[in-house]
Amino acid sequence: MHTYKFTRRTLLSGAAALVATPLLNSVAFSQAGAFQGRTLVSSGFGGSTMDIIGDAVFNNFDAETGATTTQMPMQSNAAFARMTAEAGNPQIDMYQFSGGQELDAKQNGLTQPIEGSARMESLPADMKDPDGNWVAWAVIAEGLVYRTDKFDEPPTSYKDFFRPELKGHIAFPAITNGYGVDFLVMLAKTYGGDEDNIDPGFEAMAKLKDETIFAAASDIPTLFGQGDIWLMPYDTGNTYKNQQAGLPIAFATPEEGSPAVKITACIAKGAPNADVASAAIDRMLSPEAQVKIAEGMRWTPTNPETVLPDELSKHVPNVSQLASLDRAKINENRAAWIERWNREIAL
Amino acid sequence: MTTAAPVLNENPSRGRSTSLVVVLLLAPCVLLYAIFFVWPQIALLMLGFRAPDGSFTLDLYTKFLTDGYYLRLLWRTMVMGVATTAITILFGVPLAYLLARMRSRWALFLLVMTTFPLLVSAVVRSFGWMVLLYRNGFVSDLMQWLYLTDAPTQLMYTLPGTIIALAQVLLPIMVLSLYAVFRSISPDLELAAMSLGASPAVALWLVTMKLAKGGLFSGSLLVFSMAISSFATPSLVGGPRAAVMATSIHDLTMTVLDWNFAAVQATILLVTVLILAVIYGRLLNGSAAAR
Repeated sequence: MHTYKFTRRTLLSGAAALVATPLLNSVAFSQAGAFQGRTLVSSGFGGSTMDIIGDAVFNNFDAETGATTTQMPMQSNAAFARMTAEAGNPQIDMYQFSGGQELDAKQNGLTQPIEGSARMESLPADMKDPDGNWVAWAVIAEGLVYRTDKFDEPPTSYKDFFRPELKGHIAFPAITNGYGVDFLVMLAKTYGGDEDNIDPGFEAMAKLKDETIFAAASDIPTLFGQGDIWLMPYDTGNTYKNQQAGLPIAFATPEEGSPAVKITACIAKGAPNADVASAAIDRMLSPEAQVKIAEGMRWTPTNPETVLPDELSKHVPNVSQLASLDRAKINENRAAWIERWNREIAL
Repeated sequence: MTTAAPVLNENPSRGRSTSLVVVLLLAPCVLLYAIFFVWPQIALLMLGFRAPDGSFTLDLYTKFLTDGYYLRLLWRTMVMGVATTAITILFGVPLAYLLARMRSRWALFLLVMTTFPLLVSAVVRSFGWMVLLYRNGFVSDLMQWLYLTDAPTQLMYTLPGTIIALAQVLLPIMVLSLYAVFRSISPDLELAAMSLGASPAVALWLVTMKLAKGGLFSGSLLVFSMAISSFATPSLVGGPRAAVMATSIHDLTMTVLDWNFAAVQATILLVTVLILAVIYGRLLNGSAAAR
């Protein structure tokens, strides 16, 4: 636990905070120098994503509050493994997840409520945990990513993966990648199943098993650039990133619906800097930060008060246009599906 | 310890202090080894025998050893290790021999050049191979140009692709192991053999290669163990379709969070490698004894 030393400075800043409180929207958070000398450790998504989040959220946060924030790059799975391993003695205060890990984290008692964020209160109910243990600060739309020079008309459906003329030009992520699981679920939904009835998904995917299976987003540039791949299921954010790198690709929303991935934040139970983390999360939800994230990543803002510039809103689907999958059920079945996938698909 | 033994026979009182010195000298190393290797290894071993309720179980081992999928995983890992080792021997022995016997002042420069792949990060190197191994990549084009195949070949996301990429990076290990040994074998021995009537090829085989066996063993062991335990190359170049033990352990630990089964796979991998190493060592020594 964090032991608090009561000094004159604490007393003074405490008094100042008391005076300032009624004037501020989010309690004490916006107060300059509130976290002077404190260090916040958060997991991060690595690469340019981490830089954009740093620029949109943490840099200003640090400058105003006096805290020093470090993002440690790790994928959501690795981050959750780390969180589990450090249960009871967390070295990382705050976690960012993109694969529904926050639900398991809460269920396994690894999180604690985010406290004092006024912005979190005003979020739609499906974007936060009822007990306040996690919050979605962005949403990513998944769908069809295609080579614009190979399609006359953009693809419209998950059924397009089975068009005979595309044989040998399809790629899809392995099931250990979060989007691989979502692709399986969407195939199931397309062919009459759902999260509870996954068989149609496996049957459909088995027809694609001679196509290219890749592991991570890092394969995308090579696949589209070199590997004669024309169509794959992925997301708006990575499409945008690769478009910027000069690849002739585009994103299309499938008629079966775009599965949405919540990008969440939560605080490790017993984190020494839980108060700093709560304030940082509140900052993530601020409209300024949300616009910057949408600009940099093409991720959909979750704070309804966020207004995107017109040009940007064309590329970033509104949160109401996205469907969400039953993440709790998916997480429950993940291990069994991975085993089955290894035998039936990756053979 | 063995060097201390004769001293002990000569003078018991001095021997005791010598062995005390030996113990004291070894203590820090042994202690570190025990704390940071032996103990975690035992903990890992125990993890594999633990049922969900905490009791002792052999279920996970039974699951691995009776399931065709996992046995294929182990088999694929061994094939990858053996093939990588064979390729590095094939290319490494002539290269190391030439470098060791070379009288040019470029010899040292060339030796440093051969270690170059080791200086490049495994991830960066794997990305390089990804570009080369794709269906439209350089290797596929080269094979068609040489009339080895008549259609584009996809080596990316396959076991052969992984083996090619691993052999490239591990070749320097083999060359360095053999280079040191070849350097220590005097060329005069070959000349002596030839003066007694052996042809150059026979002299090379009977004298130099026999003497270089230690280097061949240590080189093979290093290459083999590094190949089967490598993660970045199999996961990037091989991908999910060419899954091996290292990538499976990673997935179990990071994605499925089944640490007990991951521990079982780690233990089985370790034991298999130890057995193979002992057999290989015996075979190399055995062939020498038979002559």
